[in-house]
Amino acid sequence: MKKIITTLTILFIFGFMAFGQVTDPLVSKCAINAGTNAKYLKDFRIQLGKAAIQSDLRYRANMSLWKNTKYRFTMCNADNSKGQLILTIKDDTNKLILSSFDKKTGKIYSFVDFECQRSGIYQISYDFTNGQQGSGVGVVSMIK
Amino acid sequence: MKGRVFILLIVMFFGFSCRNSKSKTSEFVFPQSDSIPVSEAEKLSPEAIADISKNISSPVEIANLLQTLQVPFSQNYIAETIDANRQSTSFNKALKLGILGADLGYLNMYEKTGSSLDVLSSIRKIADDIKVGQFFDFESIKRLSKNRSNLDSLLFISVDSYNKIDTYLRSNDRGQLSALMIIGVWIEGQYLATQVVKQYPNKVLSDRIGEQKIILNDLLLLISPYCNRDPEFTNLCKDMQDIKDKYRDIRITYTQGDPVSVEKNGGLTIKQTETSVVNMSKDQLNGVIEITKNIRDRLISNN
Repeated sequence: MKKIITTLTILFIFGFMAFGQVTDPLVSKCAINAGTNAKYLKDFRIQLGKAAIQSDLRYRANMSLWKNTKYRFTMCNADNSKGQLILTIKDDTNKLILSSFDKKTGKIYSFVDFECQRSGIYQISYDFTNGQQGSGVGVVSMIK
Repeated sequence: MKGRVFILLIVMFFGFSCRNSKSKTSEFVFPQSDSIPVSEAEKLSPEAIADISKNISSPVEIANLLQTLQVPFSQNYIAETIDANRQSTSFNKALKLGILGADLGYLNMYEKTGSSLDVLSSIRKIADDIKVGQFFDFESIKRLSKNRSNLDSLLFISVDSYNKIDTYLRSNDRGQLSALMIIGVWIEGQYLATQVVKQYPNKVLSDRIGEQKIILNDLLLLISPYCNRDPEFTNLCKDMQDIKDKYRDIRITYTQGDPVSVEKNGGLTIKQTETSVVNMSKDQLNGVIEITKNIRDRLISNN
């Protein structure tokens, strides 16, 4: 009887985890971190192992960004990450528009605001500093 | 030998010329062919489709622009004729889910939370019908709507719910429903923008309408694999192609410039100096307004 109850409890918990569809706490935390009046648009969940060789940022996605809109890109790291989440954005001609990592000073910005004046599809890339292992979330919001 | 070197030089010269002219081009153009062949769209990997889906605007972007431009709210823009109980096919349900999602974004953005509860109950019914209701945190959305307490949280939960549905549908071989939902969101957003610009002419808004040319091809790519699936899809593909035709002669050009960065409050602000410029005549805009209204009205009356 005890075994049946234990099995049922485990099944219930796993069932809840699988179908409950609760928002990832790191995503909600990161959306809140974006600040008041930041209107959430999208999130990118990044999980990367250690890079064999250091090259370009490994996680890539495309996103349309629109003229006359101010975007905020917020980066949040999970506790177990070895590196810090960084971001670069390139336009459709592969021109670097912004980076949250200043190579000269080594400074990493936890958020970057982008005042878009050229509508288009942009390449958004994420990675962890020095190609380290890590998991994190990049949230894109609109701000005033 | 001399001849071969000469030919090689000519080939290299033309090769470089073409590349240079391409990189210097400062105008957005549709790909060469008039329509995307189904075979080409079918070749898209699930990752490429996921990428395209992520690309498309969120349901709140147009609503946010309208609010920023201080355009007054109008209940007339909402697709009130959609009866959630009369949607007979998955096609209709997924498309309406997208349309209602854009309306929910518009209502929430203007804090018209009373009306948003009606839209929300239709969304709930349709989402349950196509078995994605579990991704909608209805209770939280309802609570936040009633309290009018936290608009940011309300927008986050609503948009996040749509993003989850999209991801779930694509990863469960129901990509056709995801494509319909995305197209529904886009058409309703486009309807909102075009109806508003008709009533309140505004350069920023008409530019945003013109700039939709940039993502039209991606929308067509999303739906192309399903164009021969059944008559409903065939008609929608034709509608999207008709919209694309209206955009053919609208020009988007770019002026060059380098981004300027400023450090502010511990964060970094990047201001883009390069700009996109929309060249769209009044007739072209009217053409887009008209076709959008015709297609959207037909879609929402098709219960």
